[in-house]
Amino acid sequence: MDQAVIIQMVVSGALMGLVYALVAYGFQLTFATSKSINFGQGELVMVSAFFSLTLTDLGLPYYLMIPGGLLFGVIAGLFVERAGVRLALEQKSEGWILMTIIIGLFGFSAAENIWGRDDRPFPTPIPSEPIQLFGISITWLEVSVAVGVFMIMAIIELFKRKTLLGKAFEAVSADRDAAELMGISATRTIMLSYGLSGLVAALAGILISPITTVGPTMASVLVLKAFSVAVVAGLESGFGVVLVGLFLGSLESLTSYYVGSGWREAPGLVLLILSLAIRPTGIFGKAVIRKV
Amino acid sequence: MLVVNNLHAGYGMSEVLMGTSLTVKKGTLVTLIGPNGAGKTTTMRTISGGLKPSKGEIILDGKPVQGLEPSKIAYLGLAHSPEGRKVFGPLSVEDNLLLGAYTRLPRFFGFRTKAAPDLDKVYALFPRLRERRKQASGTLSGGEQQMLAIGRALMANPKLVLLDEPSMGLAPVIVDEVFDIIWELKKSGITLLLVEQSAKRALEVADYAYVMERGRIAVEGVPAELEKNEKVVAAYLGS
Ligand SMILES: Nc1ncnc2c1ncn2[C@@H]1O[C@H](COP(=O)(O)OP(=O)(O)OP(=O)(O)O)[C@@H](O)[C@H]1O
Ligand SMILES: [Mg+2]
Repeated sequence: MDQAVIIQMVVSGALMGLVYALVAYGFQLTFATSKSINFGQGELVMVSAFFSLTLTDLGLPYYLMIPGGLLFGVIAGLFVERAGVRLALEQKSEGWILMTIIIGLFGFSAAENIWGRDDRPFPTPIPSEPIQLFGISITWLEVSVAVGVFMIMAIIELFKRKTLLGKAFEAVSADRDAAELMGISATRTIMLSYGLSGLVAALAGILISPITTVGPTMASVLVLKAFSVAVVAGLESGFGVVLVGLFLGSLESLTSYYVGSGWREAPGLVLLILSLAIRPTGIFGKAVIRKV
Repeated sequence: MLVVNNLHAGYGMSEVLMGTSLTVKKGTLVTLIGPNGAGKTTTMRTISGGLKPSKGEIILDGKPVQGLEPSKIAYLGLAHSPEGRKVFGPLSVEDNLLLGAYTRLPRFFGFRTKAAPDLDKVYALFPRLRERRKQASGTLSGGEQQMLAIGRALMANPKLVLLDEPSMGLAPVIVDEVFDIIWELKKSGITLLLVEQSAKRALEVADYAYVMERGRIAVEGVPAELEKNEKVVAAYLGS
């Protein structure tokens, strides 16, 4: 087999995997502060992508559309927290699981009604002609995915480490009650985490849509993979989701090349099942995702 | 500084505090002692807002605070060093201290500069914390974590400090150190409510003492008086 082709496959798969990692990172952000995650995260990605597409259709230039789309993601994330999570957490119930699923389903049918069922192309000024880099061909579009993912994760990690608000975020993850005693409002910190989680979800949508197109079904595909990545990597380590994302992405593209494109979804599921069977806390994690 | 009046609180259906009343005057060190399960920690948690009282009032520096969120009460000048220390394990010693001053610091930039004088004060009190300021606080020894928990409470420049069992689970030498610190805090004129298992030492340092039994204050008075009270001596001070 031609080695160049393999490398080619691995690289473009890995770039895709970074998007799974980004969505999984969104799970980590809210899990850290509240031990809850948005099961409608995939729909959030999809709806944000459609919203961004509409902004583009309205004539907004690409680089102005991005902040608009991200803002939408933040607002959607805050909405999920307010409507689906807050009350359940206050009552120490697991109701957020069902609520976030329902909000996701609602987002899905809203998207079908507003934007239709068809996959639509997502225009971008970033060129998709391949360039040669160390003997492999890669497109600027793919490079933009990597740059976007690493940039946003670096910014959020810097925020957590370098600002007092970020440290407060970490404090709430470590010990919510003690953080409250310092004057840190856990409720607001959880809001912040859902806002950030919505932001990364929207960015994931904006980054991936030019490559995959936008459609209501992108939600379930993405969220399944992101979930695998989160479970395999654990819900604590940002570094972990990147590694596992890269791995899963490359594995997928190799599988679809060698076994057939119908098998593309298999590695994610296999990894998920293996991981739950062998090490439910994830490779990099300590906390178990509560028996969901 | 603090007036607690006829406080009722508990967990779910079970009422733990049944009409607790106590007062901490400005600049005094008051201790709350009593057997395990009497409700001392519950009293402190209710004062700092972690539990909502079903009845009664809590007046902090003239303002009623019962029923407020803990984070709100912190802004009104209360610092609570909880039972079991509760340091932020993954965060460094210095980050823990900085968060202690959260209510007074800018959220994004410049918080280090603004906190520097207070950090220096706390480090002067606890030189070992300065040596370990970059270390993850979860890896500190129990005694060091206790120092950190006290230091973190002081960082807030609070009007009133609640210390819940600072000597719990520590070796005797370390307990001595902790009490040395408490004496120093007393000299500096800080207002402090101290819960302690070792009643003897608590009574030595306190200006006033309450003995709690089954959710109520059973006896109160200046330590010299309590030391004459036969029941208190028999129950807590040994013979
Ligand atoms: N989280 C909780 N849920 C239910 N009951 C609790 C809880 N915490 C304490 N209790 C009960 O409340 C009562 C008072 O407990 P509290 O911790 O206030 O006692 P304490 O005086 O601080 O005792 P100790 O000296 O052991 O620290 C006990 O009967 C205890 O079992
Ligand atoms: Mg106690």
